[in-house]
Amino acid sequence: MHPFSYTRASDTREAINAGRRGGRYIAGGTTLVDLMRETVEHPETLVDISRLPLREVTATERGGLRIGALVTMSEAAAHAKVRALFPIVSEALELSASAQLRNMATIGGNVMQRTRCTYFRDVTTDCNKREPGSGCAALHGYNRTHAILGTSNDCVATHPSDVAVAFAALEARVLLQGPEGERQLRFADFLLRPGSTPNREQAIRQGELITAVEIPALPRPLKSGYLKVRDRQSYEFALTSAAVALHIRGGVIREAKVAAGGVATVPWKLSAVEQALIGERPSGRLWAEAAARAADGARPLQYNRFKVELLKRTVERQLRIVGEME
Amino acid sequence: MSPQPQAAVGAPLSRVDGVLKVTGKAEYAAEHDIDEVVHAVIVDASIGRGRITSIDSRAAEKHAGVVRVIHYGNAPKLPYRDNAGSNNPPGRRLRVFQDDKVLFHGQPVAVVVATTLEAAQHGASLVKVRYDAEKPSTDLTKAEPGEPTRYARGDAEAGLRSSAIRLDLTYELARNHHNPMEPHATVARWDGNRLTVWDKTQWVMGTHDEIAAVFGLPADAVRVINPFVGGGFGSGLRCWPHTIVAALAARVTRRPVKLVLSRKQMYFGTGFRPSYEYRLRLGSDRRGRLNAAIHDIDAETSSYETFNEAVMPAGQMLYSMPNVRQAYRTVPLDVNTPIWMRGPGFASASFVIESAMDELAHELGIDPIELRRRNEPSEDESTNEPFSTRRLSECYTVGAREFGWDRRNPKPRSTRDGDWLIGLGMAAGVYDPGRFPAQARARLDADGTAVVEAATSDMGPGTYTSQTQVAADALGLTMRTVTFRLGDSLYPPTSPHGGSATMASVGSAVVDACDQVRQQAIKLAVEDRESPLYGVNADDVVVRNGRLHVQGSPARGETYKSLLARNDRSHLEAKGSYNGPGSERSAYFAYNATFAEVAVDANLGLVRVRRMLGVYDAGRIISPKLAESQAFGGIVGGIGTALLEHTVTDHRDGRIANPGLADYLVPVNADVPDIKAIYLDGEDNAGNLLGVKGLGEVVQVGVAAAIGNAVFNATGRRVRQLPITAEALL
Repeated sequence: MHPFSYTRASDTREAINAGRRGGRYIAGGTTLVDLMRETVEHPETLVDISRLPLREVTATERGGLRIGALVTMSEAAAHAKVRALFPIVSEALELSASAQLRNMATIGGNVMQRTRCTYFRDVTTDCNKREPGSGCAALHGYNRTHAILGTSNDCVATHPSDVAVAFAALEARVLLQGPEGERQLRFADFLLRPGSTPNREQAIRQGELITAVEIPALPRPLKSGYLKVRDRQSYEFALTSAAVALHIRGGVIREAKVAAGGVATVPWKLSAVEQALIGERPSGRLWAEAAARAADGARPLQYNRFKVELLKRTVERQLRIVGEME
Repeated sequence: MSPQPQAAVGAPLSRVDGVLKVTGKAEYAAEHDIDEVVHAVIVDASIGRGRITSIDSRAAEKHAGVVRVIHYGNAPKLPYRDNAGSNNPPGRRLRVFQDDKVLFHGQPVAVVVATTLEAAQHGASLVKVRYDAEKPSTDLTKAEPGEPTRYARGDAEAGLRSSAIRLDLTYELARNHHNPMEPHATVARWDGNRLTVWDKTQWVMGTHDEIAAVFGLPADAVRVINPFVGGGFGSGLRCWPHTIVAALAARVTRRPVKLVLSRKQMYFGTGFRPSYEYRLRLGSDRRGRLNAAIHDIDAETSSYETFNEAVMPAGQMLYSMPNVRQAYRTVPLDVNTPIWMRGPGFASASFVIESAMDELAHELGIDPIELRRRNEPSEDESTNEPFSTRRLSECYTVGAREFGWDRRNPKPRSTRDGDWLIGLGMAAGVYDPGRFPAQARARLDADGTAVVEAATSDMGPGTYTSQTQVAADALGLTMRTVTFRLGDSLYPPTSPHGGSATMASVGSAVVDACDQVRQQAIKLAVEDRESPLYGVNADDVVVRNGRLHVQGSPARGETYKSLLARNDRSHLEAKGSYNGPGSERSAYFAYNATFAEVAVDANLGLVRVRRMLGVYDAGRIISPKLAESQAFGGIVGGIGTALLEHTVTDHRDGRIANPGLADYLVPVNADVPDIKAIYLDGEDNAGNLLGVKGLGEVVQVGVAAAIGNAVFNATGRRVRQLPITAEALL
């Protein structure tokens, strides 16, 4: 671990000032400290934001939900409003990490967490994300858990979050506060695909702080669920996952919100699948036809070819499970 | 067993060191705090093979707190004398900092010593090493194997040709790492020319002898201490390079040094269960009588040592057949040297043999248990020796009954539970438990308590507890009045704590020592005119709860305490020994039948184990509660091997691609189902005083095959590689 200085911010303004001067925010520390130990990250200054007043979960008008950036994963998962309005968020959270990590990690940090790519985490390898221009050791290396969607020749690392997949499906927005004031970004615009700059992972500006994640209202009734496929039953990242929310009225699917995880460089919104569902009547055939679009544009690698088929099956399974819920 | 009444042995006792462990008072190797200790962090080679061209340690040396950077350019030359009788495999062992060669990715190339751990870690990241790198050879399937070790009986080729049913199956088994909870760690302190080392090891004597050999020290100048081991599974069976690095660093800096391997460093700083490519050709008649087997076995080893393990015996003795041929080749690769891991050799061979038996059963339409019964041998056909005991058939019977084997539908894909296909599978397991020379010392004190010592280890099976049970009964004392000590090279020497040998070996030495002490006391009593036992035949005296009395007449007797006090004896003491099985001529193996029920979501490639049962023929069970824990651990280990564990090498440069518990998956609680263990009642007195067979290894043997066979029964899909992953089932 490289030497660093540490300050604790007592209010948001102080935090942003420190952030503007180059300080790195730390809350639960469940990603950053690991990466500092591996010397992947070597911030000069850590700004502890864990005492800022960003721990509220509030319902917005018309049935949306705002989750403060410093609400822990376990608090969010257990929160009555989250469970009532968007149980898919609780499900995704409860299928993430371990109980101990969920008690420490925050929603803001979860969205900001960095990839599990083994080469990213090993400073003796080439990694464009860690060291721009050095190359990508994963592209022709051991890439079983890597992305098949949203990749580039410079980076094939997956975004590891589960709850971010639910957020992406639900078209949540990230609320930011920075030196130049407040702004909101759609999830799809906030997390960046690697392109030729895989070191840039979020559309966040220096000093900007995530204050909350806001899920917009959706028509009710809403059926939803999160399915995670993984090698072991607990405490493991997704090989594939699917977040599905459906609004069915009069026997017809009126709204479909679908995203996939474990397969892409960012939580992967499945717009083609959504389009195939909207206006249709639920049926086994519909689930299969819609899910067949899930891996459109996939670019598999040597060890992750199976993810193309597994992704389609995961989405089909979850469409069926959610579509056939009582 | 001694003529003593059995009170502690066989009782389901909790661990005597349990309270120490759960209260954090058990001190592990890295926890020995020594005044003035400095911290050492190893710099690992970042190439897979080649030569170091330069080492620039200036930045590291300038970092506050760094005391010294040691590497081949400035390290003292060490004698590295031969160490016969050690667990070092044949070859030339890795010599730390003695030359510029890099033999594998991660090899220690320098060590940074600093006053704090943080300074040492940061210092290590500042050392700039330049290399002349070569392309390493790390792929088992693409490298040139060494000369085979062969076994043959009959004519296997002809036997196979003439067989009505022939199978030709190739299996790939992944490399596994032990991943004990406790990291490997060493604290080394020199006092003049004397060296004391606290080291995570399963064999203090082995580490002692290796350190003495490497540094050219007389045996009595080295002491190795290790009272507690936080898991081992075999990773502590030899002295690894980092232990030498710590002792070397302590000598160079003239300070006591603490060196703890990181989790990552344990993937190349200690050994592993080698990966295998194993082709098995099997021939039988239409009734399932085996006729021939040809085993072609390739396994990883390092370029500098030839690691062999017992992967051949199961294929020679588990089933009856006239014709067998085996060729076992180790393949030298640019990797560090493997080491035994739980159920070594047998666990790997059993996956192949037991999977193939299941394939044969399916092919023939015979129940897998019935097929095994039809091939049950009446003697060890590789040696023509009788079995000391072999109750495998009974394991099948009990297991089938307890598991509900009759509910298994032999037709694959016939049982469904929603999206899950349900399958049942079984396998036989066998292991050749060790019986190695050992010594022990017992001392009975005037206060009626006893201390028993041996330089053995307790990596988790509960040696402290089970040896206390053995000693308590032999001395006629209660558990509370006996203290068993281990893990110090000053204690009477023993062989390695591994190979399921400890109870038969150390236990026999403990019985011998305690019997002698008890007999000394009895002799003292029957010859003492003032003793109520005066004149009694010594053979008629037993001891219970510290009181000697005439067998059958409990009223006539006295306590150890009064006997020693009256005779003015501060203590009685004896050294016991065990010399191995000696001239015993019988085939001594432990067995199991392991059963698994799995649920497979074939559409998503998910396998979840629902139930497991192990039925064991392991001789007398000294400590039933510990034995049950051992079975649970072995089965969990087997679930890992079957479904999750896989050390991945990136063949481009030889690095381990998943060196950590986030990427090398072991089962978590959610993966561990309902497990049941049944030990058949009985004993096997072949060459040991306790009637035991050893059980720590056999409990993992066959587990992976039982699960694989259950996956086949569930899905109809035969996976011939370990681990069985989602992609193999899609």
